[in-house]
Parts: sequence; structure tokens; C-alpha cells
Amino acid sequence: MLRIIGGTVYDPANGIDGVVKDLCIADGRIVAEAALPAGARTIDASGMVVMPGGVDVHTHVAGGALNFARGLVPENQRAARKFLHGLDRRAGLGGMTPTTFATGYLYAGMGWTTVNEAAVPILSARHTHEELHDIPIVDKTSLVLMANNEFVLDLLEAGEIERARQVVAWLVWAAKAYGLKAVNPGGVEAWKWGKNANTLHAPIEGYNTVTPAQIIASLAGMADDLGLPHPVHLHCNNLGVPGNFATTIETMSVLQGHRAHLAHLQFHAYGGDDWSTMRSESARVAEAFSAQKNLTTDAGAVLFGDAVTITADGPWQHLLYQLTGRKWGNLDVENETGCGIVPYVYKDRNLVNAVQWAVGLELLLLIDDPWRIFLTTDHPNGGGFWRYPEIIHMLMNAEFRKEQVQKLPEKARGRILLPDLDREYTLSEIAIITSAGPARSLGLAEKGHLGVGAHADVAIYPIKPDHGLLFSYPRYVLKGGAIVVEEGDVRNVVDGREFIVHPACDDAIEEYIRPLFEKVYTMSFANYPVEMERLRHPEVIACGSTSA
Amino acid sequence: MGGKITCTLGEVKNRADFIMYWGGNPAECHPRHFTKYTLTPKGKFVPEGRKARTMVLVDIRETPSAKAADIFLQIRPGKDFEVATTLRAMVKGQPVNPALVSETGLTVERLQDIVDRMKRARFGVIFFGMGVSMTRGKHMNSGAILNLTAEMNAFTKFVCMPMRGHGNVTGADVVLRWTTGYPFGVDLSRGYPRFNPGEFSTVDLLVRGDNDAALVLGADPGATMPQPGIEHLARIPTIVLDPKVTHTSRLARVHITTAVTGVSAPGTSYRMDEIPLPLRPALTSPYPTDEEVIRRIRRAVAAKPAWTAAPSRMMAIA
Amino acid sequence: MLTLTLKEAPSVPLEADVLSPDTIAPLTAEEVRALPVYLGKRQRRLDDFFTVDREPSGPSHHDPDDAVEIRGDLRRVKWIGRGMTRGALRIHGHAGMHLGSAMKGGSIEVSGDAGDWLGAEMAGGMIHVRGNAGGQVGAAYRGGLSGMRDGTILIDGSAGLEVGMRMKRGTIVVGGQVRDFAGLQMKGGTLVLRGGAELRTGAWMNRGTIISLKPISLLPTFTYAATYNPTFVRLYARRLAAFGYALPYDGRQGSYQRYTGDAAVPGRGEILVWQPL
Repeated sequence: MLRIIGGTVYDPANGIDGVVKDLCIADGRIVAEAALPAGARTIDASGMVVMPGGVDVHTHVAGGALNFARGLVPENQRAARKFLHGLDRRAGLGGMTPTTFATGYLYAGMGWTTVNEAAVPILSARHTHEELHDIPIVDKTSLVLMANNEFVLDLLEAGEIERARQVVAWLVWAAKAYGLKAVNPGGVEAWKWGKNANTLHAPIEGYNTVTPAQIIASLAGMADDLGLPHPVHLHCNNLGVPGNFATTIETMSVLQGHRAHLAHLQFHAYGGDDWSTMRSESARVAEAFSAQKNLTTDAGAVLFGDAVTITADGPWQHLLYQLTGRKWGNLDVENETGCGIVPYVYKDRNLVNAVQWAVGLELLLLIDDPWRIFLTTDHPNGGGFWRYPEIIHMLMNAEFRKEQVQKLPEKARGRILLPDLDREYTLSEIAIITSAGPARSLGLAEKGHLGVGAHADVAIYPIKPDHGLLFSYPRYVLKGGAIVVEEGDVRNVVDGREFIVHPACDDAIEEYIRPLFEKVYTMSFANYPVEMERLRHPEVIACGSTSA
Repeated sequence: MGGKITCTLGEVKNRADFIMYWGGNPAECHPRHFTKYTLTPKGKFVPEGRKARTMVLVDIRETPSAKAADIFLQIRPGKDFEVATTLRAMVKGQPVNPALVSETGLTVERLQDIVDRMKRARFGVIFFGMGVSMTRGKHMNSGAILNLTAEMNAFTKFVCMPMRGHGNVTGADVVLRWTTGYPFGVDLSRGYPRFNPGEFSTVDLLVRGDNDAALVLGADPGATMPQPGIEHLARIPTIVLDPKVTHTSRLARVHITTAVTGVSAPGTSYRMDEIPLPLRPALTSPYPTDEEVIRRIRRAVAAKPAWTAAPSRMMAIA
Repeated sequence: MLTLTLKEAPSVPLEADVLSPDTIAPLTAEEVRALPVYLGKRQRRLDDFFTVDREPSGPSHHDPDDAVEIRGDLRRVKWIGRGMTRGALRIHGHAGMHLGSAMKGGSIEVSGDAGDWLGAEMAGGMIHVRGNAGGQVGAAYRGGLSGMRDGTILIDGSAGLEVGMRMKRGTIVVGGQVRDFAGLQMKGGTLVLRGGAELRTGAWMNRGTIISLKPISLLPTFTYAATYNPTFVRLYARRLAAFGYALPYDGRQGSYQRYTGDAAVPGRGEILVWQPL
């Protein structure tokens, strides 16, 4: 039982924009004043900003790919922030690939309370859930990789859409996932023969008719038909390639009439023909995106400094390895997907990196509706998630942002729009892109707002005059009404939950899948679905029926 | 710098047409490998099975695995690094010294044939065993094969995978990485994880006598360590948790019999390709599981007075 | 000048990063005694293990104020001289792992042996070990892209595995034999092996120069280029003569066989092997 008094509350989902008001919390939720018993503890939040806890809609924090990355970069771990073990605190390391316990402490320490693990292979989903189990404090969702699943592709090739949807539903529950992830549709499959899928309407390697466009439209339709709370979450083809803005806009056409979430849009908004002519095409991408109201996206912004690129876009990673001559990891997963890992450093003197840095900010500034674009760095691809406050600072303070632009190479200025953009985000808009918007997109009705009934995930920040790094050191962070962070320090470690969905499917589909599975996989079918016991505090979120 | 280019075993089964085993004897040490993953199964994209695959065995002596091989390359002991490094150069069309190549037991011509076959493959895989990772050069031998594999991807699809030893080494590696950031040889004495093979790896610590106590679980260093390491284990307080009385148990202060994981104790085993498999116990056991014993030890330690004046204190949660 | 003498042999390794002129020079003897050291997992005081005496320094003494002398068998004492930027550190005895790791300036002298990771990732300064050194001299820590970026490491005795691994610049001179993988993945700098090496010298090297005064075994990926007496060796010889080492260069005594490699990378490093007449 808790009362937060005198704070300046930003709760955009409920139309509250910087109003000084009290918040009452009981049994882990926001309650009405009248419902709060006497003798509740009080937090004095006068002069402070009160926001719903942050929701990261796209991050890579758990599972086989991330764990693979950890093994590739011991030198990063050496230099990473150290977490000492303590009475209630596990030892750990920060850095680009934080260890599981440190991940929870780092997110909570910033005021973020829900994270969406964006890429899970079904075959190793058990591993992902074991790691999510070991991430304290924050609540989690996870998305299962589907756009290169051969069961699905084979069925699409055969025109058996209905059966494909049944299989997808079964697989989502087998993985104990929350939604569908599509990465480089067709391209990851092609990479298994060393190829890629660069053209949306060309049949993919090993197939006669199935195209990336067909996979995209089919999965988007399935997410709608199954009533998944979050739409298909799509990493478009041709990530990172100069000129790829055209693919992105074409992808949006393919998605007409469907809901969809486009991941890390920054990596998909480039013009030019090659590295030497690469430029920003954020304006055209923003325009096409804004016109198509069924779409949401996240920025995938890049920050100068260390990063580790981790993606199911295997061919892109091989290319990056050949370009940088540094380390490369690759893991193809039978029948399903793959991942590639390349540690990388974004440098402000590098022309290409300068354009990338600008594009992320441009998209955030050009897309007017903050309910549709969310703050991410596609951690750890664009930079560590604990650096989100740096991006917030640049969004809120145009002068500071322009000072950063001045540091870019001269040649970059002609390729980007950022120098001419003056927009400044308000605190309310920041609350939307970091919390209310992603919560709504994920379909988590009890997150991202501070109305009665919401989970009491609250971040309280001391106001800073220039909003500089306002978000780096919350004064208090509450998770489910428990004070977990005080003055930037983790004080109380609570468990988080895992939200999952159980889409409707015909039980008979299992008999269709079993013999196929036994033919192409290498384990016992009984061991494939993840046991519920693996998940810490699972909570099933209902699938709605959003289709006719 | 190279890296690790790999896949899950089903990818090998369904696609590989060139399989190389280097420094391992799967016929005896991984007896189901050929039939489950690499040679005989009908793969989704290799429907003709064995006929469509070429198997190359590289080893210092002809083991029973050679019977299954299409090509057997016998190299001289201690020359794995030289052969792999030579292959790296030849794959790129770089010059090598034929006389020095021949000292490995193989000729340039023989190696060129292998390089050509590798490049012609649709999907090549190298499995490397302890003959590579445990002989002179150690991690550098493994590194040579990892780099060769990464570089082959400029020509065709190529992967590699270590043939793991018994027990759940892969599982320990995976769990240590997610909890500490490092796969093995993790030091926590400064309160946070540190990694430095040679400084914190088991054999080195024991041989130098750098530790003053030991808890041994699921391993038998008393049988495998060099003599100075074994003597050190006998000198210091050593505690063993194992279903059986082992060599280490015999020189330990305390031996606690625990239930057999996978038979009587549940858990997760990670396969050599890091796929997690649930262990469903079939039998009950009168003995506690390793997990129960460790939790009880931790509770007992946490109940003791704190030994540091510093803010960080021992875990109280069992 | 401060003198520390080991009075209590540590039962497990002692981590003593505080033993560097940068840390010690500004402090009084009493403050030095209270410095933290780590015995395994426990934090202790420096004077639990060392007696600390300050010798007065002044015009009549040779040693500057920031000289530190440490006496005893310090084989178990790690991280001495870590990151130091100035001053003179003199060890009378053996030293443990990570001596002079990441040092940027100043000098370290050891009368006895040194452990693994001597001068790892150092950026400047000078280390002289009169006894033997361990492995990974001037090397990169695991996963790191580069080893020593500059500086000089002199070892009179032998050294272990991976000497100069991924070194970028600077000089390492070893008197005795080194073990396998000397100059592994070298990126630059000079490695002088006065006592030769075991196997796989220069493996996967990119750039840099290895000079061996004894015949060594070479990888098949190194190609013989020429026999000659390069001018730069003469200049190097002069530099090494100042340290008391002889580096042959005179055509009347012999010449160097030059090998280029490692073709596996492909790299443009060189190994010069002395051939006496």
C-alpha cells in the first residue's frame, strides 16, 4: 500500500499531461484514492516527474543467439559494468550482452519495467525461457521466429493457408511465445545454401512460388486471424543495404489492410546505390509509414560507440564480417531460422555510421504520431539499451541535438535531414514512445498507463532543467507496487512475469506436424514443446478476434 | 579474427554433403552420430542419403571410424595446426611450402584435392574432437578449424562443431555464459565474474595450488588431473557430490552421494549444438539431487555471520 | 623511495594493483600500509603482507620520490604495476601474473622471474625481467583485438607461450627460448628471439618483424624471400646494445634469411633467421 504524492504525472493513455496529482497503489495495482486504506506508506514526489514504467518493444536479452554473442566478446565483458553479488543481488556484467541478472537490474535502474525479447527459435525456446526466468524484476514477452519456418513455407507453397495457420498457432504455444516474429522472410532460409532473398516478389531459394511478399502477407493475416494481441513483428528484407528504402516501402504495400509492426526502421531507410553514396531516405519512409495507419514501428536508432549486431539476418552478417574483417558468429537452426553475430563499433568519423545515427533520430522526428513509433536501439544492434536516455535528451533538446550534428563529418551533412529538423519532444510524447505506445502495440492493457487497474509499474524522475539525461537516474522505480529502485540503486529484487498467448488451434494439427517433425528434426517430438514449468510466473493473455 | 560458424544437427542431417571428422573417433565415442545426423539418414535435401555424401576422416591413426570414411587423411601427431593453417592458405590460393607441408604427413596435392572437394560441396561441415582441442596447441588448433570454416563461407556453405565429451559440458558452458558472461574458468573472488583461462581454469589452479578448498560436482579431477593437482586436492578440504564414489571421493574430506541426473533427477541437458533437452527422471532415488544438496549448503553458509565488512554480503536466498 | 618487504607468504594469490608508483608516490608510509589488497575473496590491508619503509630521498640519493622497491618471493602476488604511468618499480625476487599490465610509462625491473601476462596490453614504458617470464608477454587479453600498443619488454631468461600475441607496436626481446606461438597474430612491432623458439612462431601474423638468432621451425605458410643484411637491424642492434644485448648484423659474421607470411591470413609479416657463416 503506497501513496505517491505531489508528483507531476504524465499518463498520456489517460489524457494526463503533466498534472500534479497523487497516485494510490494497493495489491500491485493503481487504485482509486477511496480504495486506499489508511496508514499507507508515502513517497513524496514533489518536484518530480511520474511516468508509467518503460516498455521496450524490441530487444535481444535472452536465448541462444544472445548467449552465443556473450561467448564471442570476452573483451567487452572485461570492460563492462560490474555488478557485485550481495545479500539480494546476483553478480553480473553489463556491457553489450549483459548477463541475465544484470539485465534486470539495468532495465529497472532506468525505470523500464517490461521488455519484449524479439527473436526466439522454437527449437531453443526452452533456453530462452530459462534465461528470461533469470532476469529479475521486469515483466517479459517473447516473439517466436516464423518467417523461415520450412513447415510454414512448404504449406504456403502448396497453397494450404488454413493448415499453415493451424501449424503457426500450434508452434506459438509450443514455444510459449507471445507473438510472431518475421525476419528477412525467405532470406534466412536461402542463407542455409549461402544465398539471400533480396526481391520481395521473387520465389525464394529452394521454392517455386513462395515469395517474401507472400510470407509477409500470410503471417500478417495469421496474426490477425488468430487474434494475437501484438501484430506480426517484421524485420524487412534487405536490412542495412544502401537503397533499401524501396524494399521497405514496397513491404508496406504488401501489408495493406493488415496490422503490422516494422522493427528497427532506421536500418531500413537508406538511399544511395552503394556505401559511398549511401544517404538517408527517412522522409520517404516516414511519409509512406504515416499514411498507413495500421502500422507501428520502433526506431532502432544507432548510437556512436560499441555495439554487437545480433540478428537472424545471416547473409547480412556474413557481409558485415567480410567488410570489417573482425569476428563473426553464425548459427542456423534446423527447419526454422538462424542467427548471425558481428561485434561492431559505430564511429562518428565514419560516413556510413554518421548517416545511420541521423536516420534513427530523423524517423523519430518526422513521424508525427508518437503512438506509432517507439524508442529502441534494437539492443544491442544499435547500442546498449541503457543509453536510451541519450536519445531522449536529443529528442527533447534541439540545441543539444544540433551540437551533436556539428560533430559529424562534413560530407555527411549533405546526406541527412537532421540539421534542418527543429522538433522537440515533450515529456508527454516521451512517455508515449517509451511506455504507453509500446504497451498498446503489444496489447498489454495493464501496462503503459497509470489509470485505475493498471499494474503499478511507475518511474519517478527528478526534474532536470534541460532534461539532460533526465532518465538516467530515477529517484524511485516501482514494479507491481514494490519499490525496486531508490536513487538509482536496486534495493529490492522482485520476480517478473512472462506473458504468453494460447492461440486457438485444432488439436488434430499435432498429428500433421509429428511425422514431418520426426523426419527433419533430430530430437524426440515429445521434447519439442516447452513445458509450462520452465516459465517463471507465466500469465496467459487472451487472444481477441480482430478478424471478421 | 574469425569466429564460430555453426548450425544445429538437423541442418547437417538435411543438407550436408561433405562431412569431415577431425581428431575424433565417432564410431566409438559418439556411436549414434553417423546414423542420427551425418551419414546414413535421408536428409530433406539429401534424399539419397549416404550415396550423396563424402566423409573425410582426419586423424593420427586409423580408428574404427575410418571404416565409415570415403577418405582417410593420416596426419603426423602434433601437426593438426599446421594442416589447418595450410588449408586456410590454400583455400585462398596463397603460396605454401611443399616440403614443410609434407612434414605433416600429407602432400600439397592431397590437400589441394581436399580443398577442391570442400569448395565443390553444397554444404560442408567439420566436426572436431579432442584430438584437436586437447593436443599441443589446444585452443589454437580449434581456432584454426573455426577460422578455416569462416573463410570457406566465401565459397560455399560451411559450418563446424566441436564433438563434446561426456556429461553436460555444453550445458555448464551455456548456463555459465548467461549467468556470468563467460563459459568456464570463471572467478568470482572480487565479487563479479572474471575470466582468464590459464589463470582461473581448473587444471591450472589445482596444479599451482592457488585454491584452499574445493567443491567437486559431476567431475572426477582425481582421475584426470596431473599429479601435482591431485596431490593438492588431497591436501585441501575437498568436498565431492557424485552418485558414485570416485577417485576424487577417495582423497576428499567429504563425499555426498547424490541422485543420478537424467535417471532420478530432473534438469536440462544441452546437446553439442546447444539445443536444450529436458531430462525426465524415470526412477526415484534414495539420495538427494545435486540441486537439493547445494541449496542446503548455501542456506547453511548464509546463516553464518557475514565475513565482509563491505556492503556486499553473502546470498541469503537458498 | 618506498621499500615493501613481503613478510607473510599469501596462502592463495594476492591481488595487489595498488603496488604501483602512481598509487603509492603521493601517500605517506602509514597510508600505504592501509591500502587494500585482495587475498582470494577477502579484502586485507597491505601491511598484513608487507612491511613498509620509506627511505628518505633527496639530492644525495639516486632514486626519485616515486620509486618503489618490493622484496620477496612475490610469485603469488598479481597485478603489480598495473596501469602505471610513471616512476620506477624494482622487484627483488619473483613477481606474479599481470606485472605491468596496461602500463603507460615508467619502468619495472625484476631480479627474478615474472608470471604470465607480463606487460599485457601495455601502451608505453619499459619492463626488464632478469629471470624467466611466463606466457602471453605483451599480449592481448582473451578476445581483445590488440596486445601491447607500445613500450619495451626485455627478458633475459626464457618465456612461455604466445609471446607478443596480437602486439601492435613496441619491442620485446627474449634471451632464452620461447615456447609455441611467439608472435601469434602479430599486427606490428618487433619481437627479438635471441634464444630461438619452439613451434609455430609467427602463426597467423599480419605485420611486424620477428628476428630469431637461432634456427627455428617454420609453418608451411611461410615462404622464403631472401638472404640479406637489412639496414634496420644495424639500427636495432645499436638500440639493444644500450640494454646490453648483442644483435648480430655484420655481413662478415653472417646474414638473415627472410621469410614472409603468414599466407593463411594472408599477412605481410616477416621472420628473419640469423645464419652465421
